[in-house]
Amino acid sequence: MAEFRLPPNSRIRTGVTHKAPDGAREVRTFRIYRFDPSSGENPRVDTFELDLADCGPMVLDALIRIKGSVDASLTFRRSCREGICGSCAMNIDGVNRLACTTSLQDLGREIRIYPLPHMPVVKDLVPDLTQFYAQYASVKPWLVADTPAPPDSERLQSKEDQEKIDRPAACILCACCSTACPSYWWNSDRYLGPAALLAAYRWIIDSRDEATGERLDALEDPFKLYRCHTIMNCTDVCPKDLNPAKAIAEIKKMLVQRQS
Amino acid sequence: MAARPTSPHLSVYRVHRYTLLTSGLHRISGLVLSLGLIVLVYWLMALAAGPAAYAHAAALLGLGVFKILWLALLAVFSYHLCAGLRHLVWDTGRAMERAHSRASAYLVLGASAVLFVGLALWLLGRGHAS
Repeated sequence: MAEFRLPPNSRIRTGVTHKAPDGAREVRTFRIYRFDPSSGENPRVDTFELDLADCGPMVLDALIRIKGSVDASLTFRRSCREGICGSCAMNIDGVNRLACTTSLQDLGREIRIYPLPHMPVVKDLVPDLTQFYAQYASVKPWLVADTPAPPDSERLQSKEDQEKIDRPAACILCACCSTACPSYWWNSDRYLGPAALLAAYRWIIDSRDEATGERLDALEDPFKLYRCHTIMNCTDVCPKDLNPAKAIAEIKKMLVQRQS
Repeated sequence: MAARPTSPHLSVYRVHRYTLLTSGLHRISGLVLSLGLIVLVYWLMALAAGPAAYAHAAALLGLGVFKILWLALLAVFSYHLCAGLRHLVWDTGRAMERAHSRASAYLVLGASAVLFVGLALWLLGRGHAS
């Protein structure tokens, strides 16, 4: 059900402020969500003033700068710094995006950074993605085929068939889409969410896969699939320009078409 | 270890973004329209109950405060109709790329404003003519 108010242990306090050093030339203010599980206290929002003249161009650079020279306890995930690993997904200025591909130039003087919305928080900007991954696993994101592969070659498909899965297969599982979706916020215990459904679609339309019927059966459910109300936040935020909303619409169409 | 806190959602997400704005308005307008049905049912019951009851209802519903309510419901109806058509197009899998859904959000807002003004002028004109 829709819970509009945060539970008591999640309400946010005002945190500490770290002023910019004297002589700073290009100061930006970062308001960053903090949660320390060992403190027993509620989350808080700390304020960091940072001199951009002293920092790389992306939001991730600013976070690394803060961690390196202001507060070493600031915790976040990051790895590739080029938008392919999906680790640094977070809510930046009210929209989910990757910190490494979001330029500071495109943001205002004050930048608000929160973890991905409506997720259990492990620490600071690190959400617990256990359920998100379990939902991905539940759509069996692998090739299912009874027919044995040709003995002397791989399972081949036409160029056209490959192009159908080019985009859906480029998902990096950063969880920007699912955690931008209000349906997922209110029903993530039963609704699979855009990322898992995009993965399901990628295998449903794969010409080499032989479990299309079983895959559609598994999704024919009032919650797993049909909690999608085409709000379009998923497609709006995808950092890889993929289209989970369209994938979900196509699955819904296939479910209707196979009845006739 | 204490239970993990839930990260903030509605309080931090950009709710005036075109996606959430049009979807939220569609839901709210649908809710308002179903409440507006109560008035329609009252009018139909008065119609069925005979001339005296209808004259009473017509006088009551013709009050200034109801005229404002009609205009409000008309605006809500115009929006819900246009946004509903957008959802019908989406259900066919069309116009779902980001640029298209962004453009259609503004199209729906503009078209519903035009539809509302047109309907309101037409109805007000009829009211004066009769």
